[in-house]
Amino acid sequence: MKTNNRRRRLADRHYLVYYLMLLPTIVFFVVFNYIPMTGIYYAFTKFSFTGGLFGSQFVGLDNFKYLFKSGILFRITRNTILYNIAFILIGNFAQIVLAVLISRVMGKLFKRITQSMLLLPYFVSFVILRVLVYNLFNYEIGLVNSTFASMGIAPYDFYNKTALWPFIIIFFYLWKSVGYGSVIYLASITGIDPELYESASIDGAGVFKQILYITLPLLKATFITLFLFSLGSILKGQFELFYQLVGSNGNLFTVTDIIDTFVFRSLTTDFDIGRSSAAGVYQSVFGFILIMTVNTIIKRKNPEYALF
Amino acid sequence: MKRRNALRGLIVMALAISPALAALTSCASSGQGAATQPPAASQATSSQTAEESAETSAGPDVSQRVDLEFMMIGDGPKDLDRIVGMVNEKTLEKLNCTIKWNYTTFTDAMQKYNLALSSGQNLDLIYTAPFQNYFQLAKSGAFHSLNEILPTYAPELYAFVPEGHWKGVSVNGNIYTIPCTYKQYLCGGFIYRKDLREKFNLPVPVSMDTIEAYLLGVKENMPEQLLTNEFPMAGVYQFNFSAINVLSMNHTWANDVIYGIAADYNNPNQLTDYWNSDQFVEEMKLMKKWADMGFWSRSALSSVEDMSAMENGKTIARLFGGTVNSVSEYNAAVETTHPDWEFDIFLYSDINKVVYPTHPTQDGIAVPIASKHPDRAVMFAQELIMDEEINLLTNYGIKGEHYDVDADGWYIPLQDPQTSSFPWDGMKSWAWRNPVYMLFPKTDQYKIEMYAKFDEVAGYNYAAGFQEDYTNYQTERAALGTVMTQYLQPLHAGLVEDVDAAVATFREQAKLAGLETIQQQYTEQWLAYIKSLE
Repeated sequence: MKTNNRRRRLADRHYLVYYLMLLPTIVFFVVFNYIPMTGIYYAFTKFSFTGGLFGSQFVGLDNFKYLFKSGILFRITRNTILYNIAFILIGNFAQIVLAVLISRVMGKLFKRITQSMLLLPYFVSFVILRVLVYNLFNYEIGLVNSTFASMGIAPYDFYNKTALWPFIIIFFYLWKSVGYGSVIYLASITGIDPELYESASIDGAGVFKQILYITLPLLKATFITLFLFSLGSILKGQFELFYQLVGSNGNLFTVTDIIDTFVFRSLTTDFDIGRSSAAGVYQSVFGFILIMTVNTIIKRKNPEYALF
Repeated sequence: MKRRNALRGLIVMALAISPALAALTSCASSGQGAATQPPAASQATSSQTAEESAETSAGPDVSQRVDLEFMMIGDGPKDLDRIVGMVNEKTLEKLNCTIKWNYTTFTDAMQKYNLALSSGQNLDLIYTAPFQNYFQLAKSGAFHSLNEILPTYAPELYAFVPEGHWKGVSVNGNIYTIPCTYKQYLCGGFIYRKDLREKFNLPVPVSMDTIEAYLLGVKENMPEQLLTNEFPMAGVYQFNFSAINVLSMNHTWANDVIYGIAADYNNPNQLTDYWNSDQFVEEMKLMKKWADMGFWSRSALSSVEDMSAMENGKTIARLFGGTVNSVSEYNAAVETTHPDWEFDIFLYSDINKVVYPTHPTQDGIAVPIASKHPDRAVMFAQELIMDEEINLLTNYGIKGEHYDVDADGWYIPLQDPQTSSFPWDGMKSWAWRNPVYMLFPKTDQYKIEMYAKFDEVAGYNYAAGFQEDYTNYQTERAALGTVMTQYLQPLHAGLVEDVDAAVATFREQAKLAGLETIQQQYTEQWLAYIKSLE
C-alpha cells in the first residue's frame, strides 16, 4: 500500500514535468486558435467601427445570403474540392515517389544537389510565379506561343480558353510543393530500421521488392496522418496560387474559381467583416464535418491510423 | 539528462509565451484605447475644454506634450527623418507636440487602412481619398467629427477652406476630413507617341476613327510592337476593363455608371439604362473589333497595370488613365532616356464637353476615432497647411539643398529627380498642398495652361459628391460584382466569341444577381441627391 502510494506520487511528479512541457503548446493554441474563435460571432453581425465585436448589430444569417444569392456556390465548392483532392492525391503520390528515389540515390553530392534544386521552387513567391506564367502563356509574346510559331504551329489562346487550366494549375502546384513535401516522407524513410532491408536482401529481395514490401507499407501511417490533416482544409483553397495565376480573368472562372478567390473578389472591394467571416465559417464547418466523418471511418477500419 | 530536458522545456515555454504575452498586451491596450474614447464622450469633453479655454481666452491649452502619428499611403522620401525633425522642432515650440509620419505601400493600402482603423491602433491623423473609401469609412464611424473642434482649435484653417469644400466632405452634416483646396482636373484622354505619328505620317487622333487609324498605322509599320497595356481595373467596386475609358467620349455621363444606370451630365435628373441599350451592344462590338485588331494583348484579362510600360517603350499608347498631368509626367520621364520621344494627349472631353474638377474629398486629412488628442491633431493640421515654412518644407524639402526657385517662380530640382532624397511631392503631400504656396516645375506649364482653360468651362463634379448608401442591397451588390468580373469584363475587353450571345448572358446573370433591385434603389438615391443640390 505504502509503496503503491509512493509510486503514484513519483508518477505524478514524473507527469508534472510533461504537463509543464505541454503548457506552452496549450497556451499557444488557446491564444492563437481558441480565443480568436469568438470572432465567429462577426459572421452574424453588421460590423461598425464604434460597436466592435459585441456592440455591432446582430443580423442572424443575413451575411450568409450572398453566398447563395450569386448561385455559384455549387460551382466554387466543387472546384475547390476537386482541386484539393487532386493536390492531395497527386501531390502525396509524387512526394512519396520522389522521397523513395532520393533515399535510393547513393552519390552524396548528387543527392544534396538534387534535393536543393527540388526545394528551391518552394521559395519562389507566387507573385514571381505569376510573372513567370504570364510570360510563358501570353498570346503574343509568350515563350510557348513563340516556340509554336517557330515550329509553324498556330498560337494557342491560353488566357481565353479554359481547357488546359486545371493542368496548368496542378502542374505549378506540384512544381512548387513536391520538393518541400517529400522531406517529411524522406524523414520517415530514414527512420525505417536498416536491418529490415538487410534481411530482405539476404532473402533475395531486389530493390523494387524492398520498396514495395518494406518502404511503402511503412509510409502508410505518415500518409494517412498527412491526408487527414489536409482534409480538414479541403474547402480552403490555395488562394495565392489561383489568384496570382489567373487574376480576375472572367473567361477562366468556370474552371479556376474557388471559394477563396470568389470571397476575395466579392468582399475586398467593400470592407465587410461580417460577410468575410460568414464565408470563413462556411469553410470551417464544412471542413470540420468532413474530417470528423473520415476520421470515424478510419477509426472503425484501423484505429491505429486515426488522428484521435 | 532529466535536468537538461526540464531546462529545454522552460526555454521552449518562454519562447512560446512571449509572443502570446505580446499579443495579449497589445490587445489589451488597443481595447483600452477604444473603450476610453467613445466618440460622443470625447467630443463632449473636447468641446467643453474648448468652451473653458475660450472663456479664459488664453488660447488652447498645450501644457501637456503630445506625440502625434500620421498614416499615409505611398513611400516616404529618403530624407523623411531629417525633415520631420525640423518640423518637430517648430511644432514642439509652438504646439508642444511632435509628429511621426507612417508610410504604407500602395499594395493592399485599403486593407491596411481597414486594419489600422478597426484595431484601435493609436493614430491621430490619416490621409483620406475617395479611392480609400472615404465616405464609407466616415459613415461607419472611423473618424472624429470635426464640426466643434475646427472652429475652436484651427480657426485660421477653418476660415481658409471655402464653405463649399466643408459641405462637400460632410456626411450627415458632420465634417470628417480637412479637404485640400488645390483644384485638379482628372479628365481622361488618349495618350500616344507623337513622334511615331509624325514618323509614319499618321492622322492626329481626335476621334474614335482616328485613334483606330493611328493604332493600326503603328501596327503596320512596327508589327512586333505591343500597342497598349490595357488591364482589368481593381479598386473599390471597380470591374471595368481599362480600355473602355475611350467610350466615354460617346457619352455625357454625370455618374460612374457602376450599375448600368447613366445620368446625363447636362440634365442629371435624366437616367437611362445603358446596359440594356443597343448602344451598349454596338460599343462592345467596337471593343471586340479593336481586340481582334490586336490593340491590346489577348491575354490582357490576366494582365496588371504597368505604369512604366510606355516610358520604356514596351507600349506606345494608352486608352485609360491619361490626364494632362500624366502626359507631363511621361514627357519628363523620357526627357533624358529617350530625347527623341514625345507624348501627346487627346482629351475625350474635347468631344463630350464634360469637364469638372476633382471633388473636395479627393485629398484630405482625417482624425481617426482612436486618436486621444483630436484637438492637437487639428492644430497640427492647421500648421501643416497654413504655416508657409512647414508647408514648403513638407512639400519640397530644404530650399538650397533639394530645390530652388528661379526668377520666374518655377521650382528647380537640385538633385536628379529619380534619385533625389526629397523629390517634388516627396512626402506625398497631396492632402496638405496649399495653392497659395505651391511651386511647380517648368514641365508643368502645359498642365497649368490647360487647368486655366478648364476653369472657364468646368461644371460641378456630381459623381464624386454622391454618397451611395447600399446597406439595403448589399447582398445583391456583392453578387452583381462577381457577375461583372466574370461576364462584363471579357465583353469590355472584346475577348468573347460572339458579342450578342455574351451580352445576353451578362444581362441574364446580372438580373439573377438582383440588378433590378439595385438599379431601382440607386435611381431613387441619385434623384434625391440631385434634388438636394438645387
